[in-house]
Amino acid sequence: MSPLPVLDWLQNTGWATSLKESTLVFPLVEGSHLLALSFSVGMVMVLDLRLLRLCLRNKPAAVVMRELMPWSLMGFAVMLGTGFALFAAQAVSAWSNPFFRVKMILLVLSGLNALYYQLRYYPRMAEWDRDGTPAGVRAIAVLSLIFWIGVIACGRTMAYEL
Amino acid sequence: MLQHWIDRFVQWCYYSKDYAFVRDTKYGVPILQSLHLTGITLLLGTVLILNLRLLNFGFRSVTLSELSGQLWKWTKVGLALTVIAGIMIFLPDPTRYAHSGPFRLKMILLCLTLTFQFTIFRRTVRSGGTGSRVRNIAIALTSLTLWFGVGWSARAIAFFQ
Repeated sequence: MSPLPVLDWLQNTGWATSLKESTLVFPLVEGSHLLALSFSVGMVMVLDLRLLRLCLRNKPAAVVMRELMPWSLMGFAVMLGTGFALFAAQAVSAWSNPFFRVKMILLVLSGLNALYYQLRYYPRMAEWDRDGTPAGVRAIAVLSLIFWIGVIACGRTMAYEL
Repeated sequence: MLQHWIDRFVQWCYYSKDYAFVRDTKYGVPILQSLHLTGITLLLGTVLILNLRLLNFGFRSVTLSELSGQLWKWTKVGLALTVIAGIMIFLPDPTRYAHSGPFRLKMILLCLTLTFQFTIFRRTVRSGGTGSRVRNIAIALTSLTLWFGVGWSARAIAFFQ
C-alpha cells in the first residue's frame, strides 16, 4: 500500500499549506529545528565523549548522564514537533527524497543503539564505570556519534533537494 | 567606504584562488554545511552546559571551573570545525554572502560573541563564577542571547535579503 495518498492529504491540510506558504513561520520552525540540535544532539555528544573518557573523566558517568539527559530530551521534543511540522509542509517530496529516508533509518538505528545501552549497560553504570569503560559501551558511544552526525548531514542535505 | 572594502574583499576572494570546485561539485556545499552544523552542535552543546550551570539550572555536583576546564577543549574543536567549514562555504560564493544583510549582522554578532566568550565569559567560568548571583545570571543571558543571535541571523541568510 502506497503512503502517498496519506502524505498528499497531510500536506494539503490547512495548517500544513499555510506553514509552507508562510514567509515568517516556516523560517522560525526550521530555525528552531536546527538550533534545538544544540540541546538534543549537543548533550548526547558530550555524554558520548564522557563514555569514551574524553572529558569529565573524574565525574561518575551516571551523574553526567543524569544531568545531561533532561535537557537532551527537551531538545528532542522540540526536534520532533518542529520536524513533523516541516515534514507535513512538504510530505510528498520529502518522502521521495533519498536523504530523508537515510535520515529516518539512521534515527531508528540511533534509537536501537540507545535502547540497547539502556537495557544492557545503564542499570550497572556505577559498577563498570569504576574500572574503565567496557568495549561494548565504547562501541555504542562511537556508533552514537556516527549515527547522529549522519542524521545531521542527511537532514541538512535533504533541504537542498526539496 | 565600508562598501568599498567589502567589494575589494569579494574581488580578492575571486582572484586569490579558484574555489569553484566547491560550487561545481554537486555535494560540495551540502557536505561543508553538514560539517558546519555538526561543529555548531558540539560548540553550542558545551556552551549551553556552562550557561545552564551559571544559571544554577543543574550540574551542581561539578564545580564551574572544573566543568569549564573539561569542556573547553571540545568547545574549541566545535568552533574550529564551524569556522573552517564556514570559510570554505563563503569563499567560493562571496557575493551571495557579502551583500546579504543577515550575513553582515551575523558577522557583527559573531565578533561580539567571540570577544565576550574569550574574555568576560571565559574568565568568569574559569574562576568558578564566584561573583554575585545577579552577575552570573547576566553573563549567562548575554552569552545565550549572543550565540543564539548568531544562529538566528545565520538562518535568516537563507530566507531574507
